Amino acid sequence: MRAFSITTLAVAALAALATSGAARADNERLAVFTKNQTNPYFQVVRLGTEAAAKQMKATVTHYVPTKPDSIPEQMNQIEDVIIKKPDAIVFIPVDYKAMVPGVQKINAAKIPVVNVTDRSEAGTFVTFVGASDYDLGKETARSLFKAMGGKGNVIAIEGVKGSLTNIDRVRGMNDALKEFPSVKLLAAQPGNYQRVQALQVMENLMQSFPQIDGVFAANDAMASGAIEAMEGANRKALVVGINGTKEAVDAINAGKLLATGDYNGFLQGCLGTMAALRSLRGQPVPKQIVLPAAVIDKSNASNHTVPVEQRGCPRWEDAVKG
Amino acid sequence: MSVAIAAGKSGPLARLPQGTRSVIYRLLAMMVIAATMSFASEAFLTSNNLLNVLRQASLLFLLASGLTLVILTAGLDLSVGANVALSACLAATVIKATGSVALGVSAGLGAGLLVGLANGLLVTLLRIPPFIATYGMLWILHGVTYWFMKGETIHGFPAAFRAVGSGYWLGVPIPVYVMLLFLVAGILFAQRTTWGQEVYAIGANPEAARLSGVPVKRRLVLVYVASGAMAGLASIIYLARLNSAEGDVGEALTLPAIAAVLVGGTSLFGGVGSMLGTLVGALILTLVLNFMNLLTINANWQPLVTGVIVVLAVFLDNLSRKGDTR
Repeated sequence: MRAFSITTLAVAALAALATSGAARADNERLAVFTKNQTNPYFQVVRLGTEAAAKQMKATVTHYVPTKPDSIPEQMNQIEDVIIKKPDAIVFIPVDYKAMVPGVQKINAAKIPVVNVTDRSEAGTFVTFVGASDYDLGKETARSLFKAMGGKGNVIAIEGVKGSLTNIDRVRGMNDALKEFPSVKLLAAQPGNYQRVQALQVMENLMQSFPQIDGVFAANDAMASGAIEAMEGANRKALVVGINGTKEAVDAINAGKLLATGDYNGFLQGCLGTMAALRSLRGQPVPKQIVLPAAVIDKSNASNHTVPVEQRGCPRWEDAVKG
Repeated sequence: MSVAIAAGKSGPLARLPQGTRSVIYRLLAMMVIAATMSFASEAFLTSNNLLNVLRQASLLFLLASGLTLVILTAGLDLSVGANVALSACLAATVIKATGSVALGVSAGLGAGLLVGLANGLLVTLLRIPPFIATYGMLWILHGVTYWFMKGETIHGFPAAFRAVGSGYWLGVPIPVYVMLLFLVAGILFAQRTTWGQEVYAIGANPEAARLSGVPVKRRLVLVYVASGAMAGLASIIYLARLNSAEGDVGEALTLPAIAAVLVGGTSLFGGVGSMLGTLVGALILTLVLNFMNLLTINANWQPLVTGVIVVLAVFLDNLSRKGDTR
């Protein structure tokens, strides 16, 4: 079954490349670790790393657990990669705590590593590149509450309980709620980041609450699930999601979704890769790069309709200020 | 509860066959849950909410119905969730590529059925234990799905197709009709046909079944094909309801489907169980979620509440059956 994994294919490609002759001076080899092949977000991150590598004339090899978010599998992949000794590693831990021993192995092997998206609890990194889930939760919720005219009934559909992203996104939403005393949070129920669960939660909540004006979903898939549930029941409410997926941008353009917080996986992939290459080439890199929280809505959705495959990375100087 | 216990020992129910009694007890357990809920939330006992519960249970029941036949033969199909994912993604891809809903639906149903056939052949021809064969199949299907979906989401289908999942006919959601259709078909098949009786016989004692002339291998292939085909059908309902497909849709479906069969009283060791029981199992699992949402129980407590109610529902049934073992 591993024959189907990107990893194996990429490893084979890399092996072919390595035997094909002398590498160019700037042809650094990077190993990129992402969490799974199922979530569109990580696909976008991978495309970002590829775009950056292409622009800076380096090559990337992807390591993705065949079982999504598998801790032992990512640990095995780290051990494999250390033996292959790439020039640098771009690393998204499948679990920010459980993968610390893996990071320590990378550190012990003296391979420079950039931490992306989920901040590892410990370990030495060139830099951290990520978005602030708290800020995204807060800004996206704000745009929802503003569009509701600062009053009405809201429902929150949460992601996986205990996950770092969910904790921070919901905390951000709750803090935004404090700024709008006339907005009432009717219920916060778990949808586990799953579309079908969010659909069912929404169907159930519509039974208890005859008047729902806004829905805050902790990711875009759940926002879509909530929208489907309301369309099925001929009801309407303003809905926001988080991640800025292509699906969400399409839904905004179609007038179904109000807004989505832009997690900007493509830029995270770009900057993570650029930071790794810059540090290899002796150029300065800040200790951390936290992307500003941007909300995609009707006013700027057209900027996001270019397919990710056709996008290029921005110039480092434009994207990283200060 | 005490009524149920008394009935199990000496009441009028004692004369009924054990399978029927078992279903009645589970129905009672379900009604206890429902009665509690109607006291706790006035939204519960409304026709809207009950139809809502039936619609939510339909997906789970469709998956679990095919699985019931497999488990009746003392087999197992761990690949149903992955099968839904692959079939849904294939159907979505075909609809998008050709613009034809009929072609897409055929692709989804066909893929589901073929996966079932492959499972059946692995189990019978290659004699691979069902757990291993379908566990291997789970990974193969995930691998293929992830590979061709590349982390993308396919969304936005024609309204006529979506009505299959979210539409109504005479005020009742369409998936509920599909569920009832397959419930009746499943009951008739299991109880009224020779093939159905042979499925029970294989589960009770495969050697005895073989000696009495049951074509064991062909019937085994049949139940795996049924399970695969139902996964294919579930994938179509899923796609029509959610209006989108992604690689990981099925992951959260397998264990609840198996749980629905077992909570419904079908034995993992084969030979004992019923379709009606599986419907009750699916309803109990769905009611729990509905219950927690209606009462807006804190997200932190929901897994715990789910676990306790599921275990309690089956415990109630065991308690009521104590009389049988003495």
